[in-house]
Parts: sequence; structure tokens; C-alpha cells
Amino acid sequence: MTSLFINEQEVEVTPGTSILEACREHGVDVPYFCYHPELSVAANCRMCLVEVEGWNKPAASCCTPVSEGMKVKTATESLEKDRQMVMEYLLIHHPLDCPVCDQGGDCKLQDYAVEHGTSKGRYAEPKRAVINYDLGPFVNTCMTRCIHCTRCVRFADEVAGTGDIGVLNRSDHMTITGIVEEALESELSGNLPDVCPVGALLDKPSHDVSRPWEMTRHHSTCTQCPNGCDIQIESRGDEVMRIQPVENSPEPWICDRGRYVYDAFRSDHRILSPKVRSGDELVSVDWGDAFARTTELLKDKRVGILFSPDWSVEGQTAIRLMRDTLFPDAKVAYDLHRRDMRVFAFEEGFSMTTAQIADADQVVVLGSDLRQRLPLLMQRLRKRGRAGKPVSRIGAMNYRTNMEISNDAIIRPRDWAAVIARAMEQVRDLGKTAAGFENWLKAVPGRHEAGKVLADALMSDSCALLVGEEIRSHEDAAALINGLDLLMRACGHAEAENDGRNLMPEGMNTQVLAAIFGDVRASAGELFAAASAGELDALILVGSDPVGDGLFPTAAKAALASVPLVQIGAISGQISEYASVQLPAAAYSEIEGAFVNMEGRIRVASNPIKSLGQERPLWKVMMRMIQVMGGEVPVVNLTELRDMTRQRMPALAAAWDASEKDSVLIAPARNKGVELVPAKATDKFELDVVSRYSFYREGMWARASDLLSEAGSIHAMDDVLVHPDTLTALGLSAGEHTVRTFLGESAYYIGVREDVSPGVLFVAKRGVGGDLSDVSAASIIGGAQ
Amino acid sequence: MSAESVRFSDERLAEIEALVKRYPSPQSALMPVLYMAQEDFGYLSMDAQQMVADVLGLRLMQVREVVTFYTMFREQPCGTYLLEVCTNAGCMLNGANELVSHMCDTLGISVGETTSDGLFTVTEVECAGACGGAPVVQVNNIYHEKATPETMDAFIVKARSEGAGK
Amino acid sequence: MTIPSDPKQVKQICFDRINIPNVNTLSVAREHGAYEFLPTVLKEFDSARIIDEVKTSGVRGRGGAGFPTGLKWSFVPRNTGKPTYLLCNADEGEPGTFKDRDIMRFDPHLLIEGMIMAGFALGVHDAYIYIRGEFLHEANVMNDAIAEAYAANLLGDNILGSGYSMNLTVHRGAGAYVCGEETALIESLEGKPGRPRFKPPFPAVEGFYGCPTVVNNVETLATVPAILKFGGDWHASIGIPNNTGCKIFSVSGHVNKPGNYEVPMGTSLKTLIEEYCGGLQHGSVPKVVIPGGSSTPWLLAEHYDTPLTYDDMVKAGSMLGSGAIIVMDETADVVALSRRLAHFYAHESCGQCTPCREGTGWLERIMVRVENGQGTEDDIQVLKEAATHMAGRTICALADGAAAPILSMLEHFPEEVRARLVEKAA
Ligand SMILES: Cc1cc2nc3c(=O)[nH]c(=O)nc-3n(C[C@H](O)[C@H](O)[C@H](O)COP(=O)(O)O)c2cc1C
Ligand code: SF4
Ligand code: FES
Repeated sequence: MTSLFINEQEVEVTPGTSILEACREHGVDVPYFCYHPELSVAANCRMCLVEVEGWNKPAASCCTPVSEGMKVKTATESLEKDRQMVMEYLLIHHPLDCPVCDQGGDCKLQDYAVEHGTSKGRYAEPKRAVINYDLGPFVNTCMTRCIHCTRCVRFADEVAGTGDIGVLNRSDHMTITGIVEEALESELSGNLPDVCPVGALLDKPSHDVSRPWEMTRHHSTCTQCPNGCDIQIESRGDEVMRIQPVENSPEPWICDRGRYVYDAFRSDHRILSPKVRSGDELVSVDWGDAFARTTELLKDKRVGILFSPDWSVEGQTAIRLMRDTLFPDAKVAYDLHRRDMRVFAFEEGFSMTTAQIADADQVVVLGSDLRQRLPLLMQRLRKRGRAGKPVSRIGAMNYRTNMEISNDAIIRPRDWAAVIARAMEQVRDLGKTAAGFENWLKAVPGRHEAGKVLADALMSDSCALLVGEEIRSHEDAAALINGLDLLMRACGHAEAENDGRNLMPEGMNTQVLAAIFGDVRASAGELFAAASAGELDALILVGSDPVGDGLFPTAAKAALASVPLVQIGAISGQISEYASVQLPAAAYSEIEGAFVNMEGRIRVASNPIKSLGQERPLWKVMMRMIQVMGGEVPVVNLTELRDMTRQRMPALAAAWDASEKDSVLIAPARNKGVELVPAKATDKFELDVVSRYSFYREGMWARASDLLSEAGSIHAMDDVLVHPDTLTALGLSAGEHTVRTFLGESAYYIGVREDVSPGVLFVAKRGVGGDLSDVSAASIIGGAQ
Repeated sequence: MSAESVRFSDERLAEIEALVKRYPSPQSALMPVLYMAQEDFGYLSMDAQQMVADVLGLRLMQVREVVTFYTMFREQPCGTYLLEVCTNAGCMLNGANELVSHMCDTLGISVGETTSDGLFTVTEVECAGACGGAPVVQVNNIYHEKATPETMDAFIVKARSEGAGK
Repeated sequence: MTIPSDPKQVKQICFDRINIPNVNTLSVAREHGAYEFLPTVLKEFDSARIIDEVKTSGVRGRGGAGFPTGLKWSFVPRNTGKPTYLLCNADEGEPGTFKDRDIMRFDPHLLIEGMIMAGFALGVHDAYIYIRGEFLHEANVMNDAIAEAYAANLLGDNILGSGYSMNLTVHRGAGAYVCGEETALIESLEGKPGRPRFKPPFPAVEGFYGCPTVVNNVETLATVPAILKFGGDWHASIGIPNNTGCKIFSVSGHVNKPGNYEVPMGTSLKTLIEEYCGGLQHGSVPKVVIPGGSSTPWLLAEHYDTPLTYDDMVKAGSMLGSGAIIVMDETADVVALSRRLAHFYAHESCGQCTPCREGTGWLERIMVRVENGQGTEDDIQVLKEAATHMAGRTICALADGAAAPILSMLEHFPEEVRARLVEKAA
């Protein structure tokens, strides 16, 4: 530790800390603009000057490291004059438009002008006006207000990895700008207005609608992806106006999806009252009538229950209680992306924290469009890439990451077994092996060179595997994951404290869901098949949309066409056309509850935002349902429900009770002794189908958000894509072609793209390729007219 | 200028390949390659900048930042003869301001403008690093030291007769 | 070797061969001693010995800051596992300076030889000369000389069979004064806008692409061959203690024979101007002398006898800087001069630091008004405050340079300024 004196007070900080950080750590206020704890130091605003005894000029505290015995003064007359002058320089060209500026009330320039400025500027010359530029659907620019702190430039470079904001010209002609006519290509762009200390970059959706001081703030959890960021929901009255990241939480940023989805909270897509079908329409009724209809449809029937993993833990328990009380034989499903329901050697969830992943010597992303799925994890990988740490990847497409990938291979999903086998041979040749190796190797005929990428990474001291959707939704997933598990064991990456096995989950809470529902869990595909086969009398969907999401839209449609649907949830969505009854449940912005993110952290939401209509927290809807359908209500309040949840899951209880919430993490399930080997491939179709996960379109909430839909249309690709060679080999070129799958034949527009692996049919836009989402293999059989 | 016409020749590309090897990273070759583009295409149009970015594997923004930072990179065409008069201290003390006025009068343009025949552009520049020979006029980067209204007039006459043939 | 005490008899160090026709070609340069001592250095000297000689010589950086060169070299960490780079600062942009240009266009092999020796001492295998873009001719001369040196195995692999290899590349700037600042130079050489970096880390530790890097001025490097050939003690015996050796002074402005003069340190300003430069154009004493390039504070007639040393210049209230002496006789308009220099700094500020970006433009705009007789008494106060709070509060010293002429003008010629104000003009 280095000790120094700040304003005569002796303090200790880690060596290498800057004076400014030392001051911040010890609660000493030093004004600054360009410094940002998450960005590199620029030291250009010169507001953070301090005096150091023995130095002949003031020092910029943000870029001056502390040294032993240093005597720092942060408040002297001379510094006050310097700060006053910096303010005067900055205000030379700054417009005096605080009353109409959205940043007003939350503006560093305004605050410091009051604190450090003089009452009157002395600049008498013409002011500069600066041209604005387009930063996409979420960010407005008013560049005349820019103070050139370059935070946004550093953000675009270092965090978003797009680098498309830059500094043009020099001297007082220097301007911050984007590339003309191009929207910022980042799923983190909504952070820019937060990063800007003044009103130059502003939140477009909330532009001119509210002022900071009118807002009430609630701490909550975003459920838009399994990262489960802490969020601050800002509301005016009962209306959510903005969603913001939370200061000092493990993740300082949030993604655009989590931030802008709020416009779906009050959209027409919300279910705000109980409804029952009458002919073509769903009509609002009171709760009693809706439950009467529900009872009629479900009482003593064979039902299948499908729900979203994104409800709070309490909600999940309530679903289980509802099932146990009313439908003790029912199968439930919550995962729309898993085809193989056999036990996985390592189940969904991360065994490492994001920070540990970032620290690992090697990170290998297997089959995932990580940037679309987990943009904030991607951001961490980018950060580690900047620090020179490698990230390797194997996948069906050269997914764009905005970072340099050290080792990259593109493969067809059917080659995964050969890839893993190749890696096994390589590590075995280096003397590392595990009990099941030989059996596994014997079962796989081929070897694929991409395995080298994996094996090379495995040879490091610490290696984090990020196993993605291409493997998880593989038909032979359990065997592949077993193979990866063997590799990790062989290379010493499977011990408790150094466990690099991370299976990316589809949604929140997966570690607890396995525990709550493990014994009654089925595949969504099985449920749909059962419904279509007449083995079920009805389906209950709780916040899930198998038509818009997941791998079974065609099967889901068939099932929904054959049995009645009771839809419970917050968003109506396209499945509402099948619904016989709709029961409104509260959005995550309207509840109190706990969530478990992919790392196993407990994230708590407590949102006193009142309901917009008649929706009730899910657990209340479930209990009421039990009650009206004649069951015995197991819990009557949240405390009881939580106790019940605790009893069922001791690991959850421990994490919940920990005073330091993030100190106890809930580990994902590990299943020893899985001895699965890959099945023989049957090559009926030449191409492997891979479906894109679209950041802006996946999930009911995102589709209900106009803002996200608009952004999605900017970042859209052709509907179906293949590598150019794939078409050339068939004597075809881009255009409308007939595709055959086990479901039959249909025509699609097929575009080409170099970064798709040869042999892969990439479905970039679900829904359009409706049938294609259900299949894992296909053949192009020729041009259509 | 269309995007198609802004392409480096194969010789240039070979030259660039050799150049890149002299640096730890290709980005270092950006300024020399911009000079090549400016020489080949007259000025650095957006197409030219994009092409340079592609050749060196950089983002357009990285190129834009450099082009706009340095005064010797031009985003607009200029006259066949670019007359850059230093008016900084050393030259100013030796009559540079008067020389600029004289040249502008002779050519009938203001500072920063190009004559209508596209032959001459006159600009004022910062210290040329040749104050011992003040005043200094750079003509397409060739230094004319101890320039006087007479020597510049003579130059302009000569250039006109040569330039007309170009 | 004993050194004559009369400075005029001392052989010049950097300009020793400067008047020899065609000495820019390798053969002529060799006839006159170029690369003569290089094999000895490569064979018999080691890094420590070279650095010691340079330390003993007392030579201080000729680029402006006057930092002792041997000391700077000794800061370079060894065995970091990263390459070390040597960058020659040939950006020569400080108004008034034009000395490096002469070394490069007339005696390029002197610089090359100095760089090989410095590179050898520092374990450098890739060296660059960052030359200002306007010096196209000089860059061409350097490139021709470098090509000849490569052909003669003076550069490239295994130089003269010594086992030491070094590549040398000329890199042209493109019109930005600030790139003469060493960290801006590094940024520029990395293919970016030349915006200075804050220190620490210092370039010696983390410079070009994050590797240990030495940046030295042309003249500094051109001194090295003589220091090694004749010994550090020899060099230290020229001039006066702490201000040793010769220095090239670029003299311009109102003198009869402007030009570059290499004289021993300690020669007086007056001697230089009267004996070498043929005196002033008008009058007998200068009105203003800017002794070290436009960024240094002004001296007046009363300082005419000041010896040209780093220390004496500081005592007189200015700095030796790069040795660019701008002389103004009684005809000079100090307001116009200040306004012009204000324009220069406003034009050249890289734009990153608030005080410099906004302050330089502000100063210029006020100065334009003052020059045109539209200034007010208040402007004087603003000029003073705006300039004072730029200096020493920014990343690089450009802002200090911008403040210097304004503050000098206000300090020394308040009456001339007041005479131009609105009220006075009316
Ligand atoms: C604004 C500014 C401009 C500079 N310009 C030059 C220059 O043109 N040439 C130069 O050698 N040093 C210049 N310097 C000084 C360099 O930063 C650096 O001190 C010098 O190159 C070190 O070399 P030396 O130790 O051999 O003098 C400049 C410094 C500043 C602050
Ligand atoms: S002082 Fe001026 S030139 Fe130097 S870094 Fe700051 S803004 Fe750039
Ligand atoms: S915070 Fe230190 S200079 Fe901006």
C-alpha cells in the first residue's frame, strides 16, 4: 500500500492508483469531466487539477499516480481560480440553453458552473456551432454542447468496440463525430448519453419528455437476458420513463435491449385485463368470469404447462405449486431451445463469474453469437482482448464481435463431434486424458481440424469454455457436452475452484429451475407433439411464446391449433390468436422478487410501480387459480412463498440469506458419470440449419417494443443465408430457391455471405423462415420460379 | 471521381506492402499511404479515404481522424501550383504579409482560393522551418527562399506558360 | 587533445563538413571522416561505455527541453522482452528554428552515423526519422543517403560485420507543429492524430507501440559521432559547465545575415548577432529577442550581453529552447507579432486540453481586436488571465508556448498595447 496525505489527512491506497481515484476512495471531492472509472484515462479536461507539495505546477489528478508520502491539496485559492478558468474556457462556446436541455439537472457542466464558475463569462467573440450527426435510433446529438472530453470516443473504442465515433480536426475546430449517415453499430449505444457528462449526447426515446428531478427511481433487475443486470427504473407517476444502469453494480453498463424495452411496458401488446375469447376476439371480462372459463377448460384435464424462465424465483415456485395442486401429472417445459433432454454433464449456467472469465488465460466461445446473446459478456471479452488476452472461437458463422478473435474456425454443427474428437487426440498425445476418452473417440469416425483451436486453448493454466446455443440445441447435445466435459477434466479445468465449464443458458434462473422442476421437466417439442397427438386436453402458457421464439414454432402452431390455450402473462404477442383465456400477470417492473442470473447471483427487484391495469403478480394469479379451481392454497403471502422456495432449494436459501449478496453464488448442476457418446450421423440433408438469435427481436418483450423493432430493422440481414460456395456447388446463385426439410418443401430467398460456414443454412430472420426454425438439417433442391 | 477510379495501381500496392513491413503495425503506414493517394488522385476524397482504410485494414474513422488533423492532407482539389506562403514571425518580419497581398492581387484571388483556370492556389502557412531565407514560399512543396514580389511574378509568368500546356 | 580557449577556433561539431560540396553523398562524406570511427564503436564499445561517454560529455537535448541526453538514455529499461525504438525528432516546427534542416540536407550521413551509434548503445533495431512533411527535399536527401548506407552495409543486417543490425526509416509528418512534442510524434508515427500523451509513463519506458523509446532531436544525435570519436571529456571542455559543447543557433528576423551558426555554448547573444549575423537591420540594439523559438519568453535590449547557455537564459527570464533566435529591431510591431504568434498556437493546438483548445482561440480573437484598435482595457486583464491559466496546466507545453508571447508583450510593452485600445485610438 502507498500512503499519502490528502488535505493533511493520511490515507492508504493500492500502489499505482491515481490521485483522483485515491480522492474518490476517501470521499474527497475533486471535480472532473473526462475521467470515467470504466474508461481509459484521457486527462484532457484539466478540471481535476490538484496541488502536490514541492511541484512547481498543478497536477491533473486523474493521470498522476500517487507516490509514497505525497502531500496533495485539493482545495486552495489558486486551484479554485484554475477551475474557474477551466469553466470559463469550456463555457466560451457552450450554448446557454440549460432550460431546454434534457441534461439540465443532471449535468456536470451545470453543477460545476454553480460550484466553480463565475457569474459572468467574459468571452465576447462569436460562438462556435457544430453539426450534429446520426448515432442511430437511441441517441440524439447536440454537438454544440460538446466539451470534448472524448468519453464517448473512448466508450465506442473500448467498450462497444465499434470505434466509429472519432475526433476530427484540431484546435478549437476539433469536433467529435460519427461516420456520416451510419447508425452506431452497437448494442450498447444507449450508454452513450450516460457517458456524456453534458447534454451533447442525449437519450432519444426520452427526449423532451421528462426532467431528471421529476423521476422516482427504483432498483430492479433486468430479465431480458440471463446476465440479469441491476437496473434503475425511473418512473414518473406510474409510467416508466427510463431504465438506467446502477452505479457501483458489478456491471456498469446495460444493453439497449434492457434499456429500451420499457416502451413495451405500456404498449398495446400488454395484457391489462382478464380476457376470454368470443368468436375472433378476446374481450375483457372480470377476474371471476375469466377464472370460470379457465376452470371450465382445465379442471380435471390433461394439461401441458410451458412457461418462461424469466419470471422471478417466487413466480417459478408458484407455477410449481399450481401444477402440484391442480395437475399433479402434468409435464412442464420452460426451454424452447433444447432438443436433447438427456442429462447434461454440466447443466445450464456459469460456474465462473464474468470477472473470472475475463481473468482466465484462455476463453473459448463454442457455437454462439455472443454479441447478440450476452452483449455485456461480449463487452468483457473485448476488454480482455484489449489487454492482449486471447479469445478463441468455433462456430457456424463468423459472428461479428467488434473485437479481434485470436483463433477462429467456422464449422458445420454436424462436425462438433469430430472437432471435439480432434481436440481429445491432441490433448491425449500430450499426456492428458480422462476415463471416458477412448470410448468417446471410438464412437466418432471423423476428425476436424478446428479441434486444434479448442485443444490449444485447453493447454493453458486456466481456460473458460463458453458453450453456446449451437451445441445446447444440438440433437446430440448431451453427448457433445459430455465430450467437452471429458476434455475439461483431462486438462484440469473441472476442479471446483477452477471450473471452466460454462453452458450459456437460454434465460434467467436456470440453476434454480433445474432444482425446482427437474423431476417433471419435458422438452417443449414433446409437449407440442403430445398436444397434437391428442394426449393433452389443453396448454397453459405462462409468459412464453413458442411461435415467436425458440426451435419449435411449427410444432407449436400445430399444437395450439388442436387444443385450447390458457395464456397467462404480461404480453399478448402472436400466440394470443390461439388463446381462449388471457390472465394478466405483472411485468418485471411491477413486482418484488428475486432472480438468479447466469453466474448464480441473486438479483433482487423491488418495484413499487403500480400496475397499469388489473394485472397481478404471477404468484397471486397462481394462488387465485388454485383457489378458484378448488385446490388448497399453499401460501398466502410472499413471505410464505419465499420460505417454501427456500425449503425446496437450500443453495438458493444460502445465497438469499447472505449479507453480502454477491458472495454466495448458486452453482449450476453437475452430473457425474454421464457416459454418452455421439450417435452415428444420418445425412439425409446436406445442410445444417442454424437459427440466428436476434438481439432486437427475440423474446416477447422485445417484439412488443417499437424502439427495439426499429433498431432491429436497421441491423437486419437477408432472411436465409449460405456461404457462396454452397450455392455455387449446386450451380445456383443468390435468389429464391426451394428448400427441403423433413417437414416438406418451401421456397425462400437465399442470400450469400462469406462468413457463414460452408454446409450451413443460416436462418437470419425467424418467422420468415418459420418452418426452418423447427429443423436442424435441410437441402436446397433448386431454383424456384 | 467515382469509387472505381480510386484504386491504387499494382505497383503502388507492392510499394505499400513493402512499406508496411517497415513498421511494427500497418497503421503506421497510414500517413505515407495517404500521401501516395493524394499524389495519385490529387486530393483525398471520401472514396480515396475508404480505399486507404481498406488497403491498410483500418476503419474509415481512423483515416478520417488523421486526414482532418494534418494540414497537408487535402480533402478538396487545389490548383496545379499550390503556393504556400509562410507568414509566421521570421517571414512576417521580412515582408511576408506584403508578399501575400501582392501575389493575391496579381492572381486576382484571395487567400485560400484557386484561380479560375485551376492553375494557382494561394494559402498562408505556418513557419516553414527556413526563417533564415525569409520570406519563404513553398510551391508544391519546393522551397523558394528570400522570395520577393519580383521573383514570384516571374515564377507566375513562367508557370502560366508551362501550365497552359498541361 | 587540447581545446583552444577562443571559442571561434573550436571546430564545429554538427556543421564541421557542412560547406563541403556533395558531402551528402557517401563517398564524399567518407573522404571527410564519416563512419570512420563507427567500426571501432561497434567493435570496442559497449552500451554502458557509450552512455557513459555521452553522460560525461554533458550534452543536453537540442530539441528544446535541454534534458541531459546520457541521462535520458540511461532511463531506458533493458531486457523488457520488448523492442526498443529510437526516433529522431526532425519535425522542426518551432517558429524560428531551421537548423535540423541544414544537417539533413547537407550532411545526412552525420545524422545516420549518430543514429547508428545511439541505436547500438540502446539496443535498437528499428529507428525512424520523423521529419516534418514540408521538408520533402530533405526527406529525399535523407532517403538517398540511407539507401547508400544500406548498400554499404552501414545499415541493415549485421552492420559492418559487427553482428549489430538496425533499420532506419524516414517518416514524413504532414503539417502539425505539435508533432514535434515527443509523445505526439509517437502517436503520429503510430498512424494517428498527433495528440500528446500525458506522462508518466514516459516514452523511455512506454513509447512507440508501448515499447521503450528514445526520442532525440536531429542536432542531439548529430553530436554523438564527435563525442564518441573525441571523447566525452573533449565535449565537456567546450562551453561552460552544465552547458557544454557547441550549439547551432538559427537566427532570423531583423538581422543582416540571418542563418544558422554553430558556436560554443557561452558565446554571448551580442557576439552572435554582431559578429556572425552582421548586426541589426535598423539601430544598434534589438527591441526584442526571442531566444529559443517563439514559445520562449522575450528578452529585451538589456539582455543583449547574456551568454547563450541554458542556465543564463533562465536567469534572464527566458529559455534557450531550440536555439532559434528571432531578433526584432526598433521597427518591430510587438502587437502584430503577438497576434501572429497567437494565430499560430490557435492553429496548431491539438485540441485536447480545455485551456489550450479554447484559450488559444480566445487569445487570438482578442489579439485581432487589439491589433485593429478595437480592444478595451478589460481585454488586457482577460488576456493576462487566460494566458496565465493555460501555462503549466495542460498535457504538453504547447499551451505554455502560446502564453509566452502574450505575457511577454503585456509585461514589457503595456504602453504599446494600451496605445492601440479603443479609447486611446479615439
Ligand atoms: C509543442 C512542442 C513542440 C516541439 N517541437 C519540437 C521539434 O520540432 N523538434 C524537436 O527536436 N523537439 C521538439 N520539441 C521537444 C520534444 O518534445 C523533445 O523534448 C525533444 O525531441 C527531445 O529531444 P532532445 O532531448 O534531443 O532535445 C517540442 C516540444 C513541444 C512541447
Ligand atoms: S497543451 Fe495543447 S497541444 Fe498540448 S496536448 Fe494539450 S491541447 Fe494538445
Ligand atoms: S479528469 Fe483529469 S483531466 Fe479530465
